[in-house]
Amino acid sequence: MPAKLIVQGLSHHYPDEYTGESVHALDDINLEVEDGEFVSVVGPSGCGKSTLLNILAGLLPYREGSVTVDGNVIDGPGHDRGVVFQEHAILPWRTVARNIGHGLELQKVPKGERNRKVKEFIDLVGLEGFEDRYPHELSGGMKQRCAVARTLCADPVVMLMDEPFAAVDAQTRITLQEELIRISIATKKTILFITHAVDEAAFLADRCMVFSRRPGRLIATVDINIPRQDRNWNEMSSNSEFTRARDQILKLVRGEVSADEA
Amino acid sequence: MRHSRHPLWKFGRFLRDANFSHFVVSVVVILVIWSITSATIDNPGRYLPSPLAVALSSVDMLYKGILPSYFADTIRRLVLGSIIGLSLGIPFGLLLGLNRTISDMFYPLLNFFQSISGIAIFPIIVIWWGNSDKTVLAIVLYTSFFPLAYTVLSGVREVPMKYIHAVRTLGATRFQVIRDVLLPGAMPSIVTGTRLSISFAWRAVIAGEMLAGREGLGWMIFTGQDADLTTQVILGMLMIGCSWIILDHYLLRPLEMDTIERWGLVQR
Repeated sequence: MPAKLIVQGLSHHYPDEYTGESVHALDDINLEVEDGEFVSVVGPSGCGKSTLLNILAGLLPYREGSVTVDGNVIDGPGHDRGVVFQEHAILPWRTVARNIGHGLELQKVPKGERNRKVKEFIDLVGLEGFEDRYPHELSGGMKQRCAVARTLCADPVVMLMDEPFAAVDAQTRITLQEELIRISIATKKTILFITHAVDEAAFLADRCMVFSRRPGRLIATVDINIPRQDRNWNEMSSNSEFTRARDQILKLVRGEVSADEA
Repeated sequence: MRHSRHPLWKFGRFLRDANFSHFVVSVVVILVIWSITSATIDNPGRYLPSPLAVALSSVDMLYKGILPSYFADTIRRLVLGSIIGLSLGIPFGLLLGLNRTISDMFYPLLNFFQSISGIAIFPIIVIWWGNSDKTVLAIVLYTSFFPLAYTVLSGVREVPMKYIHAVRTLGATRFQVIRDVLLPGAMPSIVTGTRLSISFAWRAVIAGEMLAGREGLGWMIFTGQDADLTTQVILGMLMIGCSWIILDHYLLRPLEMDTIERWGLVQR
């Protein structure tokens, strides 16, 4: 079966906001994400990983290379690619339930079916009892759960996540990471997860792609061979595969930083 | 919860409110200072009649039917002017916010007219339509339209990009983005703009009636001065201020509470 997400020879330049000079953000990116696979992309800040995500999301037009999802060349945003953003981007004027059902509403899915699916995803992310609350009444972690449920409820082919847990406190982040593992098992979603946190990249993903500093280039791929159901933070500190993968990713990321600064 | 309560319950809550009792204290203090000042100056009937004299004159004007009729005239002009102003200003502001080309065309004009106050536009309107109802309405409309359109325009522009991006990645069309993101996102500005617009309209009605009216509260103040009826002048001022407080409390504040405060878009 062909990969769900295929990126071939993707390069990107954009003019700097102040100087007008052309910035080389991505350089010849090639990657594939298989059906049901969880891939993380890690790299130093300014390595173009957010640029990559915006291109995949269809929010940023690209000229060099090709990107296909399920065999279709992407050209603008679409509900085949769901995105969970770093900032809480759920709509403040919609209740939790209406935010989660928004994608289905846009696709004109009948109300009965919509409500049923909304309930399913509310249960999945543990927001029972908060259906009629507005986002400002939720904690940071709950807002991100709501955002994840909104994306999943629209049933995308690929879920793209742009440092979704960067803005929550450390305890909540650990909980959300474990929940995301559980959710990925339950939904079997294909997930591309962007982060600058090495621990997070190694904990969540089956495969981690390490980016260099600008221009962003894919320098290495690290496989993390741990069954998804075994992934929880209590076990990980003593899991040799996890520590090996984490240290390897860390070296790659740091090596890149020092090479650049030297 | 507060949405479903009976208006009388709301009024009761208003009376029980700590804010309200503080308000009563300040009113009593002003009345006392006013009475003392009035009792100690020469010729209070001309310069500052006592609260009691003003109250008696209000009874007299109520009895003769002048006060209710003038009040109704002013309110009618405010309501008519505001309805037209809102129904033109809000869509115009939205249109400018949503369409670059249209905003490039009209934005300089909007800025231009923002700077010419209602009072500065008055003479030309009087030249066109004389001292008439139409002139007063035109001033009300003019004064309420521009700040409203301007506020709504900025409101649309200030909707955070992250919401637009999020909804586009859910598969929204351009129309759906406008309906589900830009319009509700501009609500704080629409509500603030409405409140601003009506408060401007209220001032413009009074000014308009003073300069070009034949009746109404503004006219009442103006003729009161001419006829040396200071009680009538003060009564008119009291009516204007009190009407605004009531209008604001029962119409404009609930509008804010049910939308932008419910959504947590403003903190109070």
